[in-house]
Amino acid sequence: MKKGYNESWVQNLFIQSTARSWSKNNLLTDGQIDQVEATYPESFYRPGIFVKIGLFLFTIFGGSFFAGFLSLFFFESAGNKTFAILCLISAVCYYFVLEFLIKERKLFHSGIDNALLYMANLAVITFLLVLFEGLEFWQYCLFVLLVNGITSLRYADLFTVFITITSVFVLFASFLIKFPIGKSLLPFAIMILSAAVYLLNKKIESLYYQECQKLIKIVVLITFYLGGNYYIVRQGNALLADLATNNAPEIPFAIVFYIFTAAIPLFYCLKGLKSKDRIFLVVGLLAVAFSCFTFRYYFDMLAIEIILCIAGSVLILFSLLIIHYLKTPRFGISDDVSEKRKLANLEALLIANQFGQAPEADSVKFGGGNFGGGGAGNDY
Amino acid sequence: MNTKSILESLILKEIIPRQQAEKILEFETQKPFSIHWELRSILYLGISLLTSGLGILVYENIDTIGHQAIITVISALIATCFYYVYKTRQPFQWSEINQTTKYGDYSLLFGCTLFLILEGYLQFQYNFFGTRYGIAIFIPTLLFFLLAYRFDHRGVLSMAITGLASWLGITISPMSILTKNDFSSPGLIATGTILGLALCLIGWLSETRNLKKHFAFTYLILGGNLAAVTGLTGVFNQEFKIVYLLIVAMLCLFLVYYARNSQSLIFLLMGVIYGYFLISYSLFAYLPDTILAAFSIYYFMLSSVGVLFFLLNVKKILGLKK
Repeated sequence: MKKGYNESWVQNLFIQSTARSWSKNNLLTDGQIDQVEATYPESFYRPGIFVKIGLFLFTIFGGSFFAGFLSLFFFESAGNKTFAILCLISAVCYYFVLEFLIKERKLFHSGIDNALLYMANLAVITFLLVLFEGLEFWQYCLFVLLVNGITSLRYADLFTVFITITSVFVLFASFLIKFPIGKSLLPFAIMILSAAVYLLNKKIESLYYQECQKLIKIVVLITFYLGGNYYIVRQGNALLADLATNNAPEIPFAIVFYIFTAAIPLFYCLKGLKSKDRIFLVVGLLAVAFSCFTFRYYFDMLAIEIILCIAGSVLILFSLLIIHYLKTPRFGISDDVSEKRKLANLEALLIANQFGQAPEADSVKFGGGNFGGGGAGNDY
Repeated sequence: MNTKSILESLILKEIIPRQQAEKILEFETQKPFSIHWELRSILYLGISLLTSGLGILVYENIDTIGHQAIITVISALIATCFYYVYKTRQPFQWSEINQTTKYGDYSLLFGCTLFLILEGYLQFQYNFFGTRYGIAIFIPTLLFFLLAYRFDHRGVLSMAITGLASWLGITISPMSILTKNDFSSPGLIATGTILGLALCLIGWLSETRNLKKHFAFTYLILGGNLAAVTGLTGVFNQEFKIVYLLIVAMLCLFLVYYARNSQSLIFLLMGVIYGYFLISYSLFAYLPDTILAAFSIYYFMLSSVGVLFFLLNVKKILGLKK
């Protein structure tokens, strides 16, 4: 598949950013950095995140009104067929503008191209949905997979890749649940598929798809964990069998899933620390949190507020101890501030949202707002 | 393409000598894996869970645990936090304090949240402030402002601003500004606009007078959003449409101007989006119907292309550096 963006520029961009990280650590001189930039040029248009958001929003806005404008010409002969044709025409226009702008304005995931790609894909999928009515669910899934998969290969866009990988899993699961044996083996099958995708993904080495591969890795790590998670399996099992979901019946091989629920997060964390892989570590930490939720859901021994207090104290103590322990780096792990706090400003806003609920004047139950908010606190 | 192949190609192009490449390779393989932010996030989560738990515990067991016991425990925790903050304090300065102590920030935040819980409890149990709720909100607000400036903490500053707004009856936090406010009362809209503008002014002054320059962002984002949202609501359904219209227009220009001065593009985005809302609304509200009929088909298409063109060339138009 021919790539949508200039491949050698993508490569040069990577070399430049690597070189810059070295110069930050005083491994390259300023003169050398200038030389690197001259030898490996790239002239992508890559605005800051906020301009990107603005470009994205206004492209979606303008694009939708463009489709509305087109529909004026078809107003008289309204019907399914005309709607399909309308979708196809807008999709062609979007793809054309997308290609044109990438060539002319040298866009590189800069908001406009993302928006045009999503609108074009959506239009093509709608076209297929309207054209082929009354198909089965997995066939529609296949459409979504094909459209997003092909465009992902060309444009390496994170969102289309996400849709692609999700539809692979949905397609796979919707096949399996047609057979009774598939239904009962679904969790294992999901885990095997995740592992297979992970290994396949690891084999491909391509700078062009680097970010996409990271995303795929995150997704399959999560699906692998959820496939083995006791809560998900038990609830999913009840859902598939059309039983009351509130108190799902016990599942076969429960002990296996308990072991998975406990072991996979720990494995992720250890693997992350050992091979210095941040994706494994962070997914592992989140998985630990979800596992705690799972066990608490089925072994309801203590009141929620006591658990919150204990969990909070344990987390505070745990992090303080580790921070203290890592004052000098050990086992290749450190507690250095490797990057400056870029997000200090946003952090402050988050605090305003979480902790800053000042007492409300007119309510009787007057006090720490919603008990100081507490991100996860409300979900329990 | 990995470190090795990049280094090889740099050597081939004679940008770096082989010796230096070996040094870089050694650095890359030896550099430690920093889990700084993961640990800090766990710490935040811990504080958040513990304060939530304590908050619930206090309310649920108001009759069974001795009141004195609750108050003593929470007060002791607050005292410990503030003592730690006080002990590890840095001398006051008007610029950003770069090297804060390890836990000072977290300790201060924890102490402030506990203070809110304690105050709420005192009011609930002992009716400490009677019906003068205003004072009950004003005290922590004032305290938080002082603490934020003294110990240089953006989070506590945003808590103080939130407190100030709720003292005036407005919810200001970004996620709930639209859902939790009752914008049907004219008084609230006026208050919100004035407060928002005042916060913007303070932010602007801190930036230009170099008084805690890094606080400007928090002031401006909270104040700017509040003023724009309340102002636009005023434009939509108030008597003094024209006043609000002018205010929001000025605000949008100010945000774009500020974005240009401070190179902070989030304010550009805010200015553009609120400005676009305002202009589109005014056109449709004030233009005669005959013109509108012919014009509205093209308006949104052409105007969004116009905005896209502006954003694409924003560097040239505003003379931004990055």
